Parts: sequence; structure tokens; C-alpha cells
Amino acid sequence: MKNLLLLLLLLLPLTGCLDDDDGMETLQDAELTIAFRAEYGGEPLHIQSEAYGYPTGDSLKLLLFQYYLSDLALNDGSGRRQYLLSDIDLIRWNSATDDPTQERTYTVSVPVGTYQGLTFGLGVKPTLNATDPSNFPADYVLNENEFWGPTTRYVFAKIEANAQLEEDGRYDTGLSYHMGSDSLYRGVQLDRSFTITDGSSPHLTIVVDVRNALSSNGQTLDITDPTKQAVHGGNQQVASGVWHRLSRSFRLEVN
Amino acid sequence: MRGWCGIFLLLWLACNDAPDAPPEFAAILYPADNPSTAAGIALGERLFFDPVLSADSTISCASCHRPERAFTDGRSVAVGLAGRPGIRNTPGLTNIGYFHHPLFWDGRADNLETQALHPVGTPHEMGGDWQSVVARLRADAGYAEAFQTAFGAGGTDSIRVGRALAQYQRTLVSRDSKYDRVRRGEATYTPQEALGHALFFDFGDDPGGAWAGLPTAECAHCHTPPHFTNERFENNGLDAADDLAAFTDPGRGAISGNPYDYGRFRTPGLRNVALTAPYMHDGRMATLEEVVDHYNSGGHYAENRSPNVRPLGLDAEQREALVAFLNTLTDSTFVAGR
Repeated sequence: MKNLLLLLLLLLPLTGCLDDDDGMETLQDAELTIAFRAEYGGEPLHIQSEAYGYPTGDSLKLLLFQYYLSDLALNDGSGRRQYLLSDIDLIRWNSATDDPTQERTYTVSVPVGTYQGLTFGLGVKPTLNATDPSNFPADYVLNENEFWGPTTRYVFAKIEANAQLEEDGRYDTGLSYHMGSDSLYRGVQLDRSFTITDGSSPHLTIVVDVRNALSSNGQTLDITDPTKQAVHGGNQQVASGVWHRLSRSFRLEVN
Repeated sequence: MRGWCGIFLLLWLACNDAPDAPPEFAAILYPADNPSTAAGIALGERLFFDPVLSADSTISCASCHRPERAFTDGRSVAVGLAGRPGIRNTPGLTNIGYFHHPLFWDGRADNLETQALHPVGTPHEMGGDWQSVVARLRADAGYAEAFQTAFGAGGTDSIRVGRALAQYQRTLVSRDSKYDRVRRGEATYTPQEALGHALFFDFGDDPGGAWAGLPTAECAHCHTPPHFTNERFENNGLDAADDLAAFTDPGRGAISGNPYDYGRFRTPGLRNVALTAPYMHDGRMATLEEVVDHYNSGGHYAENRSPNVRPLGLDAEQREALVAFLNTLTDSTFVAGR
């Protein structure tokens, strides 16, 4: 019963979109597909099968890239109103067979018209981060075995790779960055206008570049430093730069 | 809108009059087309322990999944009909009903219902075929009645056998290990177990924590609570492979067809792990000490080795502590009386 109530409370913001459409035509239960693409250095990310260069002169192969996003929402043309698409979702690439672009289809009720862009929170929002996985069904997105424990809570994002630090053809240095905490939770606003009409919706793609998370704006994580090759629950400070760069590595494409 | 909020909040508060602790595990998922019933569970249990499913009626599920060993068999690899050795270590069944990602070491079954169909026709397991098995079950008046009671009209078929076995396996729940009791505040770790717990969960990487500076054993990245598995496929560095095609057992790769999955196997849950020796997908390690030594070494090179498998630098005391913690995952009530 409590779980049901929790679900209903989580859905309240969505129902809030239904009661006031300012006279605009509202699409009821429309399906809106959002694509999520991962890149490395501007190219589609291929797990394991591609070796990528790194600014330190080394190379690496990505084995895992994933992130939670909370409160994915459309921003209306005024930028004052949001229409929730998803409360929480996990986007994950961990297989060589994974397409660099994944899609999620959301059923929403939104007014037709022009929107300013998308917003979401990178990570698990504090209200959900305070809940245990056991509060949800076993196949819920917060039950993907990404829960550290009672104090450290959920892992918001992971980057795992094997790096070649010598010119020996061996990708034998593990890199493992597991990031997350309430203080790291970041709002992301992607401004790019698009129009939703009855019968057509734009092709929206949220793009994130993993390389930029590791190295951008003149800052590069030194993957040759053994103290910077792994970040887990308690040593988030090491990854703060990665996290901040990751949160700024998203962009929205509209086609 | 505000009215709805008020109603929800009142209901919420009404349901929160007692400060309930969160449940220990997320709820088991019961498939809509196979809800568990008392009759279904009883039938599944009967089938599980009955060698009728094998070609010569000598091998039952329980021949390899022995309850006293947390539903493993103590062998390196399973031994099936006529003593034929298999290729993989028998996986335990503790809390298997909670898993929702593919099963078997190589992930060849999507769920318990389909998993149960595999061993019957595998030559080195039950060595028979479903047509014969179903014929035997239909000829048995007791089973015919039990299937009727559990599933209604429609008779006996392999799908219903799989469903009954799945219903039984969803009852194999372990939640009373010392680890669980400590979490519930009913017990405390010994200093050695507490050290092992801190190593297992990487408490040492918290610079402000009580265990600051302790090495991290990196266990929980893959052996994630509450069931101590991430339900994914990993290469844990067991075999060296400069070329991924060199793995003698391709593991997940044989199912996915993806060469980058060669040498990857499903992360086993660690509940009751002290009862499930020997270890690894081929049972090559006889003891938990050997397992810990393996991970302490960082394992062997392959480019798809998990980045979380790396030399750990644990000393003898720390390695022993890790084993002590693993022993706290034993739930004697789970194996008693089955």
C-alpha cells in the first residue's frame, strides 16, 4: 500500500500538467520518444570494440558508461513551466553490441506548441536517493544493483575502461569511476527550441560525450596516476572534476 | 489539484503511523502468467526432487542442487546422467526468485520458467527429452491430478513443468544470515568480521571514515547487496587471454555471439557462499581462501577483464578477515530441514 502511495506521489507532478493548459490544445497520452546518444570525442561511443585516444597520449577502451537522470522534463516556450516525461531513468552502455543511440518512449500529456528545451537532474534526485531499492519492485530502475549502501546511497554515474599506458598493445590498467552523492546532484538545462504539434513530434536526442567528462576546458584527469584510476563511494573528491565536466557535456539535438 | 494532494498526503500519513523499516529485499516479481499458488509450489517441489525428469529416472534437479549445500553439489562441475561430467559448476539457488536478468553462468535463460526447461534435454544433465518426460508424467495419475489442481484443465506439458519448478524456486528465500541479523541490529560482527565487512565494501576509501586508509577489496562492485550479485556478466581475470578468442570456455560470448563477451560469466550471488564450494564457473577453486587470493592478485590479463579486478594489496590478516565476512553470509535456517 505504501509503495502504491509512493508511486502516486511521484506521479503527482505529471498529473499537475493536466489541469491547466492555458487554453492550448493538449495532446493526451501522446508518445514522445527521446534518444540518448553517447559519444567519445564527437564520434558515437562503441563499447570495447574501439580504442580511443586520450590527451595524455595513452589510449583506452570503454567497458561501461551509464548515468541516472531524474525529472526529465520539457520546458515550455516561456521557460517557466515544465512537463515531466520521466521521474527517474538509467541510461547504460555496457556491451559491444549496444547501439550508441538508445531510445526511450514516454507517454505524456502536453500542450501543442513550441518548447524551449529539456531539463533533467544528472543523478538520482535527493528524494529518491533517500529511498532504498527494496522500496521498489525488483525490476525497477533503482534496482539495477547500483546502490552502495545506507550512507553512500546510489551510484549516479559510472565510467569504466581499460587503458593502455605503455605501447605494448595491452589494455591492462583498469579505470573505474563510480560517482554519486546528494551534493553532486546537478541540474542540466538543454536549450534548443522545438515544436510539438498534433500528429508530429520532433526527434530529440540527448547527447553526452564521455571524453569531455574526462578531459575538457583545459582540465584532464591524469589516468596514469594510480590514485586517480578508481573512484568509489567515499573518495568522491577525486572525481569531482569528472562529474562537473560530465554535467556540462550534454547537449540537445533537434531534428 | 490541491484536493488530490491533500487526499494523497492524508493516505500517506495514515499508512505511516508506524516507523517501518524498509523491507530487506525488493519484492519478488511473480509473472502474470505464472502466479505462485500453494498447489503450484507443492507440485514444483515434488518435481524438483523427483528423478522422473531424467532419461533413466536417476537424476533429479536436487541431484545437483542439494539443499544442504545451498542448492549446489560440492563438485567442480555438475555430473549428470550415467556419470557424464558437465562443463560448469552448479550454481546455487539462494534467492534466485529475486533475479530479473538472464540466468545460468552464460545467461542462456531469460527467467526461471525457461531455465527449468534446459536440463531435461542436455546430455550431461538429465539426458532425455521432453516428449518422454511429459508422457511419463501424464501416465502418472498422481501427477495428472497435481497438474490439474495447480494449473486447471489443459493437462501436463513442459511449460507447466517449468512453471511449477519456477514457483518452487521462488520460495528459496534466505534472509537470516549473520549479515542480515547485523543489519537488523540483532547481532554484531566480531572484530575480524567487521574488518572483512569494511574491506568488502571499500570503506577504506572514505578519507573521513573510521576505516580510512584501509585497502579496498572491490568486491561489492559486482557482488552487490542485497543478493551479492549485480546480475551481469564479467571477466574476473581467471584466465590469461591476449586474444579474446583464446578462452577455452567463451561463457556469455557463446550465447550473445559477441566476441567481447568471451570469458565473461554471470556474477554469482554470495549468499551462503561458504556452503557452495568449489568456486568459479568451472569449480577450479576449492576454498574461499583461494578465491580471495585470486582477487588479491588482480587476476590474469584479457582486455575485457573487469576494471574493478586489480591487485588489492591485502595482507594475510585482511585476507582472513574477508573470508570471515563471507562466512557471515551463511544462513543455516535456509538449508535446514529442506
